Amino acid sequence: MGVWFEDVPLGGKVTIGSYTFTEENIIAFAKKYDPQPFHIDKEAAALSPYGGIIASGWQTALVWMKLMIAHRNAAVAAGEVRTQENYVSPGFRDLKWLKPVRPGMTITYTNESVAKRDWKSLPQYGLLEGYNEGLSDDGTLVYSFINRVLIARKPAE
Amino acid sequence: MTDLIYFDDFQAGQVYQLGTHLLTAEEIMEFAAEFDPQPQHLDAGAATGILGGLAASGWHLCALSMRMMVDGLFCRAASVGAPGVDELQWRKPVRAGDTLRLEGEVLATRKSSKGARGYVQFRFSMWRGEERVMMFVCWPMFGCRAAAGAG
Repeated sequence: MGVWFEDVPLGGKVTIGSYTFTEENIIAFAKKYDPQPFHIDKEAAALSPYGGIIASGWQTALVWMKLMIAHRNAAVAAGEVRTQENYVSPGFRDLKWLKPVRPGMTITYTNESVAKRDWKSLPQYGLLEGYNEGLSDDGTLVYSFINRVLIARKPAE
Repeated sequence: MTDLIYFDDFQAGQVYQLGTHLLTAEEIMEFAAEFDPQPQHLDAGAATGILGGLAASGWHLCALSMRMMVDGLFCRAASVGAPGVDELQWRKPVRAGDTLRLEGEVLATRKSSKGARGYVQFRFSMWRGEERVMMFVCWPMFGCRAAAGAG
């Protein structure tokens, strides 16, 4: 059972999950997608402005997506009302890597629906914007962005 | 290492060609299984929703573009990371068999207050032929030549 764009409420901040970054998963990710010395080479990273290995910002971003899908699937399995279709997104904005993410840090991600807009190129859909945060173990904000997702509007009777 | 590219070398109007990548169904599905497990990214037989068949996760294109930036420019530059992305647009579905080309256009430069590095505003565009499938604006940072004691 799903809901249409018109029925989606704003607000409702939720914790979507947590992920622990390790030296192993940071280096493995970066070797594949972002092989810069401060992500993959401990000695070079120690001499960099970061003073040690830090996670690729894209790893921090992709973990959000991974946790978001798991969160949504769990909600569907629990019988909660969700939107009609799979997520389709035209992009995002204001993505901020605010603090380095280092090995051993556990990041907890939250999501809150903050705005609903028209989407002119696909008028049968509406655009939902969510504000997302990534918080480190001590509650420091290390990551934030505004995600955008298109949700089907209620068909005309 | 005197041939490294520093902040000082960037100017508005420069365009960097950052290589091409032929996307396969296997890598679309492998990426999606790890980071974005939705049917439209996982199943070659799926014809779901507005994407109409197997399409790459937009986040996959982000990761691919990062790799192309590193291989095409950052690996020979005094790159020190980036504070974020102003705006990113996924404009068209991207499919298995597409050849993707990445281009980076310098829009502006801004030296940081401490002077040891500077921000370079780029618009990165991913092209499939003449079609721009993804575009984003961000501000990677680069060290300054003088601060590195080079040249």
